[in-house]
Amino acid sequence: MKNIRTALPLAMLLVLAAAAFAARVGEPAPDFTATDSNGKTHHLADYKGKFVVLEWHNQGCPYTKKHYVSGNMQRLQKEWTAKGVVWFTVISSAPGTQGYVTAPEENEYLKKMNAVPTAVLLDPDGTLGHLYDAKTTPQMYIIDPGGTLIYNGAIDDHATPDPSDIPNSKNYVSAALQEALSGKKVSDQATRPYGCSVKYKN
Amino acid sequence: MRPPFFVCAFVLGALPGPGFAGSLRAQSVETTHAKVELLADVTAVDSGQTVRLGVHFVLEKGWHIYWENPGDSGQPPVLKWKVPEGFTAGGIQWPRPERMQTNARVVDYGYHDEVLLIVPMRAPQRIPTHPGEASFAVEAKWLICREVCLPERATLALSLPMGTRGKANPSVEQIFRETLRRLPHPLPAGWSARAISGKNEFVLAVRRGKSIANAVFFPLEPGQIDNAAPQKAEATADGARITLQKSDQLLKPIVVLNGVLALADGASYKIHARVANQ
Repeated sequence: MKNIRTALPLAMLLVLAAAAFAARVGEPAPDFTATDSNGKTHHLADYKGKFVVLEWHNQGCPYTKKHYVSGNMQRLQKEWTAKGVVWFTVISSAPGTQGYVTAPEENEYLKKMNAVPTAVLLDPDGTLGHLYDAKTTPQMYIIDPGGTLIYNGAIDDHATPDPSDIPNSKNYVSAALQEALSGKKVSDQATRPYGCSVKYKN
Repeated sequence: MRPPFFVCAFVLGALPGPGFAGSLRAQSVETTHAKVELLADVTAVDSGQTVRLGVHFVLEKGWHIYWENPGDSGQPPVLKWKVPEGFTAGGIQWPRPERMQTNARVVDYGYHDEVLLIVPMRAPQRIPTHPGEASFAVEAKWLICREVCLPERATLALSLPMGTRGKANPSVEQIFRETLRRLPHPLPAGWSARAISGKNEFVLAVRRGKSIANAVFFPLEPGQIDNAAPQKAEATADGARITLQKSDQLLKPIVVLNGVLALADGASYKIHARVANQ
């Protein structure tokens, strides 16, 4: 008994310590299994060999709206999935908070907005969000075909909710994917993500 | 969207009597969750003088706006000035912020209730002999949040008689005085701030010759420390030692840790701590 009592807090500490640096550029991206808005299960490890984009999303957030009402996010999704990139939109809003949607609601939204991610991962209990320590919507991550995190940060360099800033912005996700797809090192690997806080349940 | 009102308040320093105290305040603009107004700390402006203008935010209960480093989410207010020829607007003097924990993963820095963002305004060395009034306008944009966030904006204006040295503006004296007290001071002579970079943390040591209890560090640069990680502040015999978890976003070593150290007594200090490796 004594062993268990001392071992447990130690194990918990290790988990916490690991969680503190869970999603650091240059290190393996945390593996996950998540369910999409069509009920399909996705396991990150199954996408080895492909670039994977994670896009934290909240349809009510003004910063997310900036990139959806303008069509900017959909353009990115279309462009990069056409080039073989896997694009997961992730929703970590807890039930009762802004941006929480049921699967049918999300599918309706995708249709209305002409959004074309590979899938939308529903994360109402925040497990995936906490695993990647996602802070804002939108926040973007890129994982390379070897499973290493190569980008963590903002979608672009204009931290505003104003769509008129988009044409003058440097899109970090496109820049990173362009570089990575042509075998170059990503220049901007970590930037300050901007936007609304992710509406976690805790 | 254009702002709903364009408010022009003419501040007449020469008018006497307590009955006019109200007219020294600019008219305010109400947005959905805030009331904002442009204030001046004096009643007139003379050549060569630097006066203080300030955008005063009174926020709806429970709502907040952000500090210059907003923390994990949010965005600081932006002020775009239109000033008379020869005048120069300085940067915003940010009062010490509050640490606002939204959830386990998100900590932001900002203000609840009310805040005055002061901007020094320098008049040119020479202004015409009969210049009339100096008209200032500011377009303010800010993000205001409770559980949700909304972008808001307002255009505010204020005119001051020019070419005469004004008096302190009595109707706003108190808010300016209180705000100036909340501005971070440069580190006093005899104090020092240094940081040691460990594997996963910075240890910031502030020395002032006597113990400091309950100090809180606010980072100026994003992506250096993990905002949501608890700060471990220990009082030492001659100051304080604060352990700050490094951010996941920090990929390169840093030379200086910039920020504000807020003390329990309300005073705050600008920190530019050189970082040494462990």
